[in-house]
Amino acid sequence: MPVQSLQNTDVILPQHTPHPLLPFLQSQSQNTLTRLYQRPSSCLSIFRLLGPIERQLIMNLLWLESAIPAATMSAWVMPEGKQAYDEALAVMAGLHIAPNSTVKLALNPTFKSSLRQAITGGGNTGSFGTPADKDYKRQSANIENLDAYALERWETILHYMVSSGQGQNPAKPSQGVLYLLQRSGLMNTAHGAILQITSSGFQFLLHSPHDQLWNLLLQYLHMAEERQMDLVEVLSFLFMLSTMDLGREYSTEPLSETQKAMLEDLRDYGLVWQRKASSKRFSPTRLATTLTSSSPPLPSSHSTGGSRAADATGTVALSSGAAQQGFIVLETNYRIYAYTDNPLQTAVLNLFITMKYRFPNLVVGMLTRESVRKALSNGISAEQIISYLTTHAHPQMRKNNPLLPVTVQDQIRLWELERNRLKSAEGYLYKDFASQADYEYVLAYAKQLDVVLWESAIKRCFFGTLEGHSNVRGFIERRTGAA
Amino acid sequence: MRAIKGVLLTCDSAVKQILLTMNEKDPFVIEDLDDYHLVIKADEEYRVRRELEAELEKNTYSLEAN
Repeated sequence: MPVQSLQNTDVILPQHTPHPLLPFLQSQSQNTLTRLYQRPSSCLSIFRLLGPIERQLIMNLLWLESAIPAATMSAWVMPEGKQAYDEALAVMAGLHIAPNSTVKLALNPTFKSSLRQAITGGGNTGSFGTPADKDYKRQSANIENLDAYALERWETILHYMVSSGQGQNPAKPSQGVLYLLQRSGLMNTAHGAILQITSSGFQFLLHSPHDQLWNLLLQYLHMAEERQMDLVEVLSFLFMLSTMDLGREYSTEPLSETQKAMLEDLRDYGLVWQRKASSKRFSPTRLATTLTSSSPPLPSSHSTGGSRAADATGTVALSSGAAQQGFIVLETNYRIYAYTDNPLQTAVLNLFITMKYRFPNLVVGMLTRESVRKALSNGISAEQIISYLTTHAHPQMRKNNPLLPVTVQDQIRLWELERNRLKSAEGYLYKDFASQADYEYVLAYAKQLDVVLWESAIKRCFFGTLEGHSNVRGFIERRTGAA
Repeated sequence: MRAIKGVLLTCDSAVKQILLTMNEKDPFVIEDLDDYHLVIKADEEYRVRRELEAELEKNTYSLEAN
């Protein structure tokens, strides 16, 4: 069957998009990276972030004591894989894992010894965190509590974003989170002093939790640079968290000052849990421990309709499926049925639909001209609305081809076009030229500068941009001066 | 040779006709270039856009109003 064979090739050749952290790491100096590679947990985490070919190459080189000729390695590569191989080598060179050389191939010695240590264990660098002594007086947080805590923190942030500027008063995340949202351009204070979600903020809501998390953490890393925090400390702490055991308590004693300060921020994001701020122990949540793995960062979102059904049949709703499970049914008459009781999802929908009815597990609404225009005026694009509806479409909808009713898709785009019936550009109208030759001469110059927006040879005038005016005026003055 | 400061509006001809009608009441057009282009006074742009919006809104039928 053609369909099946298609799926098979998908499994064999998974599309690997580079992790968002890698470009950031590549922009760091060799010195920073080498210091980072002194920690086994960081090496292991970076190894996990790399693509399959890079991982394969590193594994091949890891246990070699000396460099091997580059030709030996490339002899393994089939001609059609040459490009992928070269790209993988470029990534490794950019990260200073394997220096770029056409003759010899070897791993960065620091990286090599740290990764070896990560795999074989041993040493006492404590880079994987130091477990706290067992506390017999108090029970440590169990996994369910940690999951609930992480989910609550994370949804507070997202919920705050969607319902900002809607007259609702959702629970506010901490000041640090607000600042981060503002810095990352996901929210801004365009209208008065109230923080409002931006166009990129809406796109952010469409991403998977894993991408959202890294998106914010990347911003955090950029901020850390400005706050004069030691980037190596910050990164290695994140990597340390990502290799920790869920449900285990760790001691704060061996952490550096920077890392202790980070604990506070990460608590706000829901990455770590502490009994109180002054506590000498902390537990990473699932958000943190899955940072560099492919497992889903949030426990099954038990509030979506999909997982509820799964619960009823007695199967354990495993996170990825349930969280990705679609819940929206869109009909050709613009009606939307959303099987959800999650306030966050309801709030996201509320950005672009008019609510009609709400039931405990179902929200009914309409896509109307007004509701879509409201979304458009908030900087949300028609494409974003359509892609949100597509990604969250109910499994029942997947039987349709195309997935969303074409009429509705087109109408959303038309509503967007309708707002752009008038385009404007500020500038100068040049007219009343003495002669046709004069006109053509100046126009040719203006065209050279690429500042002409409109021209008419019959009327002998043209319209130039504001930026080009001083140049064009100078040109005309020089010309009349010379004449 | 003259250079006049203004804002170039690019629109469809229907919108242009509405703008010309609005212009009769309260002039803001500097130059009528062709079917799709107008040059207007720079400081009038915001008002024109708002009034045009209101004018276009009159021609839409809303389900929600009922």
